[in-house]
Amino acid sequence: MRRSIQSISSAAIAALVFASAAEAQDDTIIIGGAMCQTGVQAPLDTPGVMGAQVAVKYINDNGGLLGKKVQFINVDGKSDPVTVGNAAVELIDKGADIIMTPCDFDFGGPASREAQEAGLVGISACASDPLYSSWSLGDKQFTLSMWNTTMGATAADFALKEKGWKTAYVVTDQFIAYTKSLSKYFIAQFKANGGEIILEDTYTNGDNDFSAQLARLKALGKKPDVMFISSYGQDIAFITRALREVGYDAPVLGGDAYDDPALHAALGEAHGNEVYFVTHTFMTPEAHPDMQKFIDLYVDMHGQEPDTAFVATGWDTVMLMAEAIKAAGTTEGAAVAKALEDGHFKLLTGELDYGTAEEGHVPNKAAVMVELKGGKPTFLGWRKPETLPAP
Amino acid sequence: MTFAIQFLINVLSLGGAYALMALGLVIVYGILRLVNFAYGELIMVTGYTLFLISGSALPWFVMAAAAVAMAVVTGIATDYIAFRPVRAKSVTAVLITSFAFSTLLQNAALLFISPRPRVIPLPEIFSRTVEIGGAITPMRNLLTIAAAVILLALFAFLMRRTVLGIAMRAAATNFTMARMLGVPANLIISSAFAISGFIAGVVGLLWMGRIGTVVPGIGLEPLLVAFIATIIGGMRSLTGAVIGGFVLAFIDTSLNYTLPQELLKFRDAFTFSLVILILLWRPEGLMRGPATGQRT
Repeated sequence: MRRSIQSISSAAIAALVFASAAEAQDDTIIIGGAMCQTGVQAPLDTPGVMGAQVAVKYINDNGGLLGKKVQFINVDGKSDPVTVGNAAVELIDKGADIIMTPCDFDFGGPASREAQEAGLVGISACASDPLYSSWSLGDKQFTLSMWNTTMGATAADFALKEKGWKTAYVVTDQFIAYTKSLSKYFIAQFKANGGEIILEDTYTNGDNDFSAQLARLKALGKKPDVMFISSYGQDIAFITRALREVGYDAPVLGGDAYDDPALHAALGEAHGNEVYFVTHTFMTPEAHPDMQKFIDLYVDMHGQEPDTAFVATGWDTVMLMAEAIKAAGTTEGAAVAKALEDGHFKLLTGELDYGTAEEGHVPNKAAVMVELKGGKPTFLGWRKPETLPAP
Repeated sequence: MTFAIQFLINVLSLGGAYALMALGLVIVYGILRLVNFAYGELIMVTGYTLFLISGSALPWFVMAAAAVAMAVVTGIATDYIAFRPVRAKSVTAVLITSFAFSTLLQNAALLFISPRPRVIPLPEIFSRTVEIGGAITPMRNLLTIAAAVILLALFAFLMRRTVLGIAMRAAATNFTMARMLGVPANLIISSAFAISGFIAGVVGLLWMGRIGTVVPGIGLEPLLVAFIATIIGGMRSLTGAVIGGFVLAFIDTSLNYTLPQELLKFRDAFTFSLVILILLWRPEGLMRGPATGQRT
């Protein structure tokens, strides 16, 4: 008994010493992640964490950053905004120099607010709602993703200018800011381009009942040229199937929430055709010459192929942080933020130029169009809208 | 006319699924007076079993049977792990253990499989459509109605005509008295969990047949639906649970059809307001259960 108490206390002391040593270390740069590894946000955040781990190892294997080792610590945000904020506080206490925040405004915002308060830069791995801006979060906060203004406008331009689809049916999931604003910007751009929205309808995530919407669409008595479905998670497959099964064969168009192999498999060969979506990148060298290098590193580290393109956003976030820190020559928040505003970055998810803090840190970025054929994604190419709707 | 048929099929198919969900929850509640918060995970287990054996060459029907069997096993395991050790001690303890078991199962799926959705195999018939009186309807909606009718009939027969059913009803009415008369308590409770698992398994197949994929949190929505339906119908009445399921589906579908776009996003608020009105009118739910007995 005494022995065990002794060993426990010595272990505790060792842990204490170790912890304080980690805090005091000057030869490491700590990237703190408040990414959600459990809960509803986990499918989007977990790939980002795995991509970030690959990037950190890559940086360390190639001489580190500013002569220091880089360490990535993630504290699970548990898909709860309050917990995400607390995770960020914990990371800052542990000595984090820069914060990586969850892939969504509702979930990631609290971490950015804590980072801002501590004078640190926070970068969301893929939040695309324009609310993720320096206007609402502070002058040291950024998102790696294009905004929904770009995403919606790219989709609208693709539909009208490339494909000549003149009438659209729009379904908006009332789930989160992302699903709502994506439809809003699509509609704005589609109308600005001279298109006609024949019907706008809403859906509630998790309902798994689309019958009333179908009845309203049928009551119109005409079929749209394109169906824009802004939803989240599994419900996209459900809505698409529900529409296709009753004879609405028009192409389906959507945003980066479609970039999910489970969704493609759920649509399958039967319904996985004529589905187009706007996303961040594509996991082949067609999208970026270095993509294969990244995939090889990823397989080396995790022992499996990445199962979604969202892993690239994690890699890019860490690489973006590293480039900015290198340019600033320090991890001090204001200097890094300045470097991010001034820099021009070439990433796996496209070239990126941030606006100034007055401009909301708008990410000027191109997007990738992907088409599903027989349930398999194919790369259509990079697109950049000439005009954007106002955020 | 077409519209009426469409509406009727939608209410019946959604209501059938809701009624089964509610029935699976209330059968345990009726006997133990305890809500099994791990109920949604029975549906999750069904989905992941189907996913895990989807690589095998077995026909779909066999895979589905295995998945339902797994839900039954998990149901019984819920009793042994979360309920039996603490059942006699305190309600709070059971509340916490059933939540814990639910969290445990969800996190197991999260850790060992993936937080990302996984595709489950579905037979061809699930994505076919038929035309009834001008209304184009997915076959799976008709299958849901059929499954609900068959299961409810089977269940009614079980409860009214078999020794097990009569013993369960006796236990639900007055547990202590039933025990004194020689009804084996543990057997009855485990049977209730097994039946609950069976119903969850079948309704899980139908529910995920709509979606096509399974995620760790898939059980939340069915648990919520079952909970609301049983509250509308009366927490202690089996008939009430079924009626509650259909009423909830009717409310949801009607609101979906009639609310204007600007208000549709607040549909759940309307649904719950109606539920509150029903409860103000009938505080014990639509159907009164058997006379109150003591909790175990």
